[in-house]
Amino acid sequence: MNFQVRPILTALRQHKAGTLLIALQIALTLAIVCNALFIIHQRLGNLSASSGVDEANVFVITNMWADMGQSTSQVDAQVRADLIALRQLPAVRDATPASGYPLRGGGWDNFVTMTPEQVKPTTDAAVYTGDEHFIDTLGLNLVAGRNFRPDEVMVMGTQEAVTPPTVIVSKVLADRLFPDGDALGKSFYAMGATPTTIVGIVDPLHRQGVDSWSNGYAGQALIWPLRADDSRGVFYIVRARPGQLADAMREAPKALYAQNRLRIIDSKDGIQDYATIRHKVYDRDRGMAILMGIISVVLLAITAAGIVGLTSFWVGQRRKQIGVRRALGARQRDILAYFLTENFLISVSGTVLGIVLGFAFNLWTVTRFAMDRMSLAYVGAGVLVLVLLGQAATLAPALRASRVSPVEATRSV
Amino acid sequence: MLKMTHLSKVYRTEVVETYALRDFNIDVKEGEFVAVTGPSGSGKTTFLTIAGLLETFTGGEYHLDGVEVSNLNDNARSKIRNEKIGFIFQAFNLIPDLNVFDNIEVPLRYRGMKSAERKQRIMDSLERVGLASRAKHYPAELSGGQQQRVAIARALAGSPRLLLADEPTGNLDTQMARGVMELLEEIHRDGATIVMVTHDPELAARAQRNVHIIDGQVVDLAEEPRFHAVKAGNRE
Ligand SMILES: Nc1ncnc2c1ncn2[C@@H]1O[C@H](COP(=O)(O)OP(=O)(O)O)[C@@H](O)[C@H]1O
Ligand SMILES: [Mg+2]
Repeated sequence: MNFQVRPILTALRQHKAGTLLIALQIALTLAIVCNALFIIHQRLGNLSASSGVDEANVFVITNMWADMGQSTSQVDAQVRADLIALRQLPAVRDATPASGYPLRGGGWDNFVTMTPEQVKPTTDAAVYTGDEHFIDTLGLNLVAGRNFRPDEVMVMGTQEAVTPPTVIVSKVLADRLFPDGDALGKSFYAMGATPTTIVGIVDPLHRQGVDSWSNGYAGQALIWPLRADDSRGVFYIVRARPGQLADAMREAPKALYAQNRLRIIDSKDGIQDYATIRHKVYDRDRGMAILMGIISVVLLAITAAGIVGLTSFWVGQRRKQIGVRRALGARQRDILAYFLTENFLISVSGTVLGIVLGFAFNLWTVTRFAMDRMSLAYVGAGVLVLVLLGQAATLAPALRASRVSPVEATRSV
Repeated sequence: MLKMTHLSKVYRTEVVETYALRDFNIDVKEGEFVAVTGPSGSGKTTFLTIAGLLETFTGGEYHLDGVEVSNLNDNARSKIRNEKIGFIFQAFNLIPDLNVFDNIEVPLRYRGMKSAERKQRIMDSLERVGLASRAKHYPAELSGGQQQRVAIARALAGSPRLLLADEPTGNLDTQMARGVMELLEEIHRDGATIVMVTHDPELAARAQRNVHIIDGQVVDLAEEPRFHAVKAGNRE
């Protein structure tokens, strides 16, 4: 087969408008598609990020108090009574009070400093609260140190700020604060005047939020031994015994209402298993991935249609010269190669421009939306997709061209 | 060189069958210069397209250079067109997107010739048709006579043994036509076999032999060119 790059390029100069149009279309499509691929891949990556929770068996009860005027000690007594009732259920393995839970979609975050005077925070961490059952209830993996002792658990009333002297941190946070790996026994400050000392390390533990802006502190979390006795309400995190999730979810609210009727557990959202929690929190990511996918497919289809259209037009326009080329000795496959090479050259010039545009667009999202830098692999994948698409779109009209009879050369116009 | 026996060519459309050639017999010897004349629609172009392997035929036999061509596949036919045959068309048929140099290069590239040899042959053949200074011009920038000379240069560049010309001077004025004819005679003297369809009795008279076609058949094969040319001229 003859690859005649130079004469094809010179001939293309006589068809500037069509060439430019398709090259630009390819460039724009590439710029958008590689960014879309990148976003899709990133969002899908989020979707499968581990929370650290034993998601198959854990569910969360959102418990609102009917009487919001109770004192902290009244609320605390009620919470402790509720926990006893929950833990007594045969289908329940363990339960903890909480002010938030992983993948909740947002919640309490604290700046972390190494000294109380430090103005610029060292980093940021999600804050979880619970009693000595928190780790077992969530099924967290304690990789160093120890769990809280019952006597370390403190009470925190509505709108109070309490800094317990002990803390359990996620391994990511421990390594961030103490890169030498000697975090255990060390102290730090988390928006309080008193230090808090690391007694245990869990790995992993996801944050409450999944927003991309918090990607910089992904996996950074701390757990304080606190019963947060907010007068408005409390979360109960409950871990069912293996295979008894449905039973536990059915029995838990009954047990709570039996304990005390003055509460509201929403019949729809009041009790959620982790499948539901995960599905909800990643709704936007999933939606974004699907949207990007649709945009990519539509753009690729439009580009392919444009290439088919233009090539068909050119084949029609050049029937005579195809006949002449055949008369002068071109084989069918030489004609096929001509159009495929022509498309390849246009595609390549389009993709070169597209690579520049794609990185420029990515850079803009990096500065504007704090998104991540796109790796070269996505651009490479995009280039491959577009070049192959171009060749595929050219194939049908090019095959038609290759079947133009050499006798076409003698037909007078 | 070129021998057709009992050859026929039928064009079938939904409503009619047209015998463009019927029981067509011709034998052109190596090195001959044959002029083909005949009324419009008599089958001259059809004969030339079959002779040049641009088209297949319906019945009979055609031996080109001793080879029966009806058994050849498309690739083999392309190769013969490329290496043995040079075409000159009435409408010049230069590729408008390419300049003179690139136009002449087309058949040489299909032959897979190296760049240096291509360049040598292109410049030689342009020299020969007197257009060496126009290598970078595009067809639209040339007169009809110049375009036809470029087309001749393109046909010559591959050193074909058989040159087929379909009314090569049909679109040219007398002055230009004479120039083209002189060029063909020169090429013939250098050893090429030439078959030329023409309406012009004066040009036909300058060929070694005249073949007259009427209704798809060869009539009056005579060895006396002058006598025949006059007859052909009268008919037209
Ligand atoms: N592609 C075709 N389809 C149908 N009929 C054709 C075709 N080409 C030529 N013919 C017919 O064949 C006959 C010979 O045509 P042609 O060889 O072009 O004659 P000439 O070149 O002598 O004028 C004419 O009747 C013409 O109409
Ligand atoms: Mg004709």
